[in-house]
Amino acid sequence: MSATTYAWLVLLFPLGGSIVIALGYRTWSGRTAGWIGTGAIALSFVNAIAAFVQLQGEPAKARHLTSTLWDYANAAGLDIKLGILVDPLSVFMILVVSGVSMLIHLYSVGYMGSDRGYTRFFSYLNFFVFSMLLLVLAGNFVLLIVGWAFVGFASYALISFWYRRATATGAGMKAFVINVVGDVGLVFAAILIFRELGTFDYLEVFDRAPGGFHTNEWTIVAICLLILVGAFAKSAQLPLHTWLPDAMEGPTPVSALIHAATMVTAGVYLIARTHPLFELAPTAADIAAFTGLATLLVAGSIALVVTDLKRIIAYSTMSQIGYMVVGVSIGAYSAGLFHLMTHAFFKALLFMAAGSVIAAMANRQDIDRMSGFGRAMTFTSVMLIIGSLALAGFPFTSGFFSKDAILSYASTRGGMYEIFTVLGYVGALMTAIYSFRIVFRVVAGEPCSEAEELAETGHVVHAEPENPATGDVEDTDVGFPGPEHHIAEQAPTMRMAMGALAVLALIGGVLQIPGVDDAITKFLEPTFEDSALAAIQPSVGDEWRDLTIGGAIAVVGIFMAYLLYVARPASTAVLVRRLRPLHTFLVNKWYFDELIDVAIVRPALAVGSFCNRVFERLVVQGLVAGTVDVVRGAGGVVRTAQSGFVRSYALLLIGGFTGLGLYFLLSSS
Amino acid sequence: MINSVLWTPLLFGILGLFVPRRWAGWVVVGGAAVTLGLAIGLLAGFDSGASGLQDTVDVDWISGLGVSYSLGLDGLNVFLMMLTALLWLPAVAFAAMRQPDRPHLYFLMLALGETATLGAFLAQDLLLFVLFFDLMLVPFYFLFGAWGQDRPDGTTAVAATMKMIVYTLIGSLLMLVAAIATAILAADGGQLSFSIVDLQQNVLSEGSQRWIFWFFAAAFLVKMPAFLLHGWMPDAYRAAPLPALAVFSAVLSKVGAYGFLRVVLPLFPDATIEFQEIVLVIALASILYGSVMAFTQTNVRLIAGYSSVAQLGFITAGIFALRPDGADGALLQMVNHGLVVAPVFLIIAVLAERAGTEDLREMGGIALRAPVLAAMFLIVTLATLAMPGSANFIGEFYILNGLFQAKIVFAFVAGAGMVLAAYYALRLYQRTMHNRKPEPIDSRDLGWRDAAVLVPLVGCIVALAFYPQLVLKRTDAAVGNQLRQAQRVDSNRPLTWQRGRESEAASISDSARPSGSGAAAS
Amino acid sequence: MAVEWYLVLSALLFAVGAGGVLIRRSPLVILLCLELMLNAGNLALVAFSRMLGNADGQVFALVVMVVAACEVVVGLGLIVAIYRRRLPLNVDELRGLRG
Repeated sequence: MSATTYAWLVLLFPLGGSIVIALGYRTWSGRTAGWIGTGAIALSFVNAIAAFVQLQGEPAKARHLTSTLWDYANAAGLDIKLGILVDPLSVFMILVVSGVSMLIHLYSVGYMGSDRGYTRFFSYLNFFVFSMLLLVLAGNFVLLIVGWAFVGFASYALISFWYRRATATGAGMKAFVINVVGDVGLVFAAILIFRELGTFDYLEVFDRAPGGFHTNEWTIVAICLLILVGAFAKSAQLPLHTWLPDAMEGPTPVSALIHAATMVTAGVYLIARTHPLFELAPTAADIAAFTGLATLLVAGSIALVVTDLKRIIAYSTMSQIGYMVVGVSIGAYSAGLFHLMTHAFFKALLFMAAGSVIAAMANRQDIDRMSGFGRAMTFTSVMLIIGSLALAGFPFTSGFFSKDAILSYASTRGGMYEIFTVLGYVGALMTAIYSFRIVFRVVAGEPCSEAEELAETGHVVHAEPENPATGDVEDTDVGFPGPEHHIAEQAPTMRMAMGALAVLALIGGVLQIPGVDDAITKFLEPTFEDSALAAIQPSVGDEWRDLTIGGAIAVVGIFMAYLLYVARPASTAVLVRRLRPLHTFLVNKWYFDELIDVAIVRPALAVGSFCNRVFERLVVQGLVAGTVDVVRGAGGVVRTAQSGFVRSYALLLIGGFTGLGLYFLLSSS
Repeated sequence: MINSVLWTPLLFGILGLFVPRRWAGWVVVGGAAVTLGLAIGLLAGFDSGASGLQDTVDVDWISGLGVSYSLGLDGLNVFLMMLTALLWLPAVAFAAMRQPDRPHLYFLMLALGETATLGAFLAQDLLLFVLFFDLMLVPFYFLFGAWGQDRPDGTTAVAATMKMIVYTLIGSLLMLVAAIATAILAADGGQLSFSIVDLQQNVLSEGSQRWIFWFFAAAFLVKMPAFLLHGWMPDAYRAAPLPALAVFSAVLSKVGAYGFLRVVLPLFPDATIEFQEIVLVIALASILYGSVMAFTQTNVRLIAGYSSVAQLGFITAGIFALRPDGADGALLQMVNHGLVVAPVFLIIAVLAERAGTEDLREMGGIALRAPVLAAMFLIVTLATLAMPGSANFIGEFYILNGLFQAKIVFAFVAGAGMVLAAYYALRLYQRTMHNRKPEPIDSRDLGWRDAAVLVPLVGCIVALAFYPQLVLKRTDAAVGNQLRQAQRVDSNRPLTWQRGRESEAASISDSARPSGSGAAAS
Repeated sequence: MAVEWYLVLSALLFAVGAGGVLIRRSPLVILLCLELMLNAGNLALVAFSRMLGNADGQVFALVVMVVAACEVVVGLGLIVAIYRRRLPLNVDELRGLRG
C-alpha cells in the first residue's frame, strides 16, 4: 500500500473509534470504551509509522504525495477536493500527534476510570485526535479549515466536559468563540489566496505564489496576517490567548492532550506549512516572530506568580509555543518543529504528573497548599522532576537541545534577530524558575495533610468537591470529579504512559545533536527544500556555544528557584511585598481578560441590549404597528357600513341598482 | 410527474377529511411520504448538466391574459422542492404523534401549505408564482391563529397572526401589481404573457425596472424576513404551533430568497445592478442585527427566529454578490438552513415539553439523562453556526467568496456574523443542555417516535456535510443562467479596480481561474 | 295583449316583494317576499320571450326557478336552524356579522 493509503487509515481509525464508542454508549461496560479508544489511536500510530516508512522509500524529490477521495465542493470555479497531502511535514506531525495521543489515551484509561462520563470522554478524545490528524494531513486550505474547526469543537467539548460546572461551560464557550475568530481569519486568508492564485490546493498555491506576488506586496502580507489570526487563536498567542488558562477546567488528560501536546501546536504547524507564503511576506513573518516573543515573555512572567498548578503549566505552554512561533517565523523550521515534538513529550508528562498530584489533593489545584509529596508519591515526583528538567532545558534533556536550536538559529541569522536570542534566554531563565517552583512546592518541604495521609494509609483523601472559582459544591452526577481518584502510583496504565513519556522527554534530544546527527532536519528537508531561510544553518561551534549558555541559564534558574522556594522560603513573601504593583499586575494576567471584556464583550452586549430594548421596540415594532394601524383605520371606515341589519344591506342593494339604472337611462337619452 | 408532486399533498389532505380523527394525521403523513418519494424520483431523473427547464408542464390557463399553468424544474428549484418534500414529512409526523385539536382541519391546512409552497417553487409563470406565493399564507394564517398559543402578557395568537398577515399581504399586493405591470409593459401592446422565460427575452426599460424591483423586493424581504421588515416575526413565532413553525421557518422563508433568483435577477437586471449595494446593506444589517438580537433573547423560539434573520441575510448577500459562486452558495445555504432550522424547532418542542417553559433562563441540564437528544441538538447547533465540515460552512464559504470578490468590505462585515453565530448558537445549546438542572425539569431522553422524526433529519445534515457537491453540481448551470442578464449589464459599466485586478492576475496564471471572471468578461 | 301590462304587473310584484324584504322582520316573510321578487322577474322574462318569439327567456326563467328552489331550501334550513337554537326569529336581532 502506498503512503497515502496509510494516511487515510490514520484518519479512519480515530474517526471510527469515536463513532463506535458513541454509538455503543449504553453497551460499553467498565473500561471497554477506554480500550477501544486507545486501540484505535494505537492502530492509527502504527499506520502513521507505515506511512513514514513508505514515504522514506520514495526519492527525496517525490516526497509530496497527494490523494483525493472525492470532489467536496466544485462549482463556479472553486474546486475543493477531499484530498490529503502526505509529505515529511505532515508525516512528522501525524507521528507526534498519534504517538503522544496514544500515551495520553492510555493514561486516561486509568485516570478517568471512575468518571461517569467515561464513554463520552473517549468518544470526544478520539474525535479530537481525528480532527488534529485531519488538520495536519489536509491537502488544501478548505480541508485545513475543516480540521481546524473540528479541533476547536473537540476542545470545546472536552473543556466543558464536566458540563454541570458553570465555569467549565463558560471556559468552553470562550475557547470556542476565540477559535472561531481564528477560523474566520483563515477563511478570509483562503478566499484571498483563491482570488489571487485561483486555487486552494497547497502544492499549487506554493507553486504559483512566487510568480503571483512581489515580495512584501500588500496582498501577500494581508494573506499571511489573516493566516496568523488563525494560528494565534489556536496557539494561544497574544492577544487571543485568554482561553487557554481557562481551558484548564477540563479533565487533566485533556489539558495534557489538547493544551499541551497537540492542539495548541497547530498554529506552529500552520506557519511551517505555509512557509513559502511567509517567506514572500517578511513583514508578516516578523510580526509573527515578535508576537511569539511577546507571548513567551508575558506568559513566562505570569507563570511566575499564579498559584493554580495547572494554570502555571498552561502559561508555560503558551510561553513554549512562543518559542516555536519565533522559530518557524524566523526560518528555523526544523528547530521549531523539533521543539514542538520535545515539548509534546515533556509537557504531556508534566500535566500527567500534575493530574496525579491533583487527584491526591482531592481536586484542589492550589500549589500553596501542596507540599512534601516526595515520599508519598515517589513515582509521580520523579516524573514531575523529569518533566521540569526538560522544560527548564537542563543540559542533555530533550528541551535543552530543541529550545536552544531555535535561539542559535536566531543569532546566526543575525541583525535584528539577535533580539530573539537575547530575550529568548531571559524567557529561559523564567522557565527554569517557574518549572522548579512547581517541583519545590509540590515535592519538597513538610508533607501537607493529604500527602501524610497518603503516605501512611495508602488512601487518597476524599473531600466534598467544590469549585474553587465559585465555591459551589460540585454536582457529581456527570462524573465530576468521580467517586474515586486515581493516582499514578496505583494505576498501572497511568504509570506506563508516564514512564514512556519520561524516557522520551529525557532522551528525545538525541534526534538532533549538533555535530552528531540531525535526523529531523534531514527528514523534513523535502518540505523546506525551496526555502532560502531553511538553508541558513548555524555552525556546530556556534550551536554548542549557545547550548552552553542555555544550559548555564537553566542551572542558574533552578538554583534561583531553590533559593527562593527552599533555602529561604520567606523571601518570596518579601518580594511580593516589595513589588506589590508588579505582582498585582502579573497575578491579574496583565489584565488581558479585562481589556477584552471592556473592548469587545461589553460593547457587544450593550449594542445587543440597545437593539433589544430600544430599536426593536420603537423602530421595528413601530413599523409593524404603523402598517397594521393604517390597515385597521381603513378597515374601520369601511366597517361602519356593516351594520348587521339585513334590511339596510337590501336597501343599499336596491338603491345601488336603481342608481345604476337611472345613470344608464339618463346617459342614453 | 411534476403535477403529481405538486398536488399529492393536497389530495391526501382532502382524503384525510374522510377518515376518523385519529387517522387524519397519518393520512397526511402518508401523503407527505408519497410526495417525498415522487420528489426523489424527479431528482433522480434530473439532468445536472442542463441549464434549462426540465420536466415542464405548460397548459394554457387564462389564455386571454397570457397566463398559463406552467411548471418546471431546473437547478434553482430542484433542491428547494426536495427540501419542501423532505421537511414536511417529519413536521407532519411530529404533529400527528401529538394529536392536535380538530385534526382534520389542522392536517388539511398543513397539506395545503405543502402544495402551495411546492407550487411557488415550481411555477414558471409569474402570475402562477404570485398566486401560490399568496396561497402559502392561507393555511398558515389558520394554523397560527387557531392552533397557536396566547401569551401571558395578553397578546393573543389571533392578534399576532393578524399582524403577520397584514404585513406580508401588503408586500404580496405590491408584488401582484408589479407582476401585472411587468407583463403589460413587456408586451408593449402586443400579446400578454406571464411566462418567466418569455419575460426574460424582452427586458423592461430602466425606469420601470426601478420601481418594479422594489415592489418585488418588498414582498420577498418581508417574507424572509429581512432587517427592519421583520417586525411581524417575533409575535408570530411566539404564537405559532411548533410543527407548523418548523416548516414555516425552514421552507417559506426561502421562497423570498428564491424569488430574487428566479424573478428579480433575470427580469430586472439594470435595477439589480443599480440597487445591489442597497440590498447588500440590508442583508448585512440583517446578519448583524439578527445575530445580536439572537444572543440577547431568552425565548428559545426567538433565538432561532432571529438566527434565521441572520442566515437569510447571508443568503441575500450571496445572491446580490451577483456572481455564480455567491448564488451557488446561497442556494446551498437555503437547503442547509432549511435542514437545520426544522429540527431546531422540533427539538425546541421536545425541550419545551420537558422543561415546561420556553424561557432559556429556566432551562438547563437536560443533557444529563438525554444523551441522544443532546447529541442530535449538538449536531444541529454546530451546523447552524456553520462549523467548517458542515455543508452550511461550504454554503457560507461560497457566499463569502462571492461577496469578497464583488464587494470586499461587505465580506469582512459578514465574517463578523460568523463569529456572532458561534456565540448565539452555542449559547442556546449550553443553556438548555448544560449547567445545573433547575428542579422541575424532566430530563428524559427522546422517545423512539420523536427519534424516528429527528434522527433521519440529522442524518440528512450529516450526509450533506460529507458531500455538498450533491447540491452544487446541480445548481451551477442554472445559476449561471439566472445571472447572465445582470452580468451583461454589469460588463457594460466601467470596470472596477477589482475586476481590473482579476484580469491582471489571470495573465499570471491562466489555468484554473474562477469561471466567474470569465463569464464577466464575455 | 301588449307586453306593457305584463311588465307593469311584474314591476308591481317586484316592488311589493322589495318593500316586504325591506320592512318585515321575520325571516320567513322575507323569504316569501324574495320569492315574490324572483317570480316578478320570471314573469318579465316569460313575457319578453313570448314577445320576441324565442325560447331563451323561458329557459332563463326555468333556471331562475331552480335557483329559487335551492334558495328556499337553504333559507328554510337556516330558519329551522335558528328556531332550533332558540334564537329570536327576528332579523334585526341577528346581527352577529356587524363589523
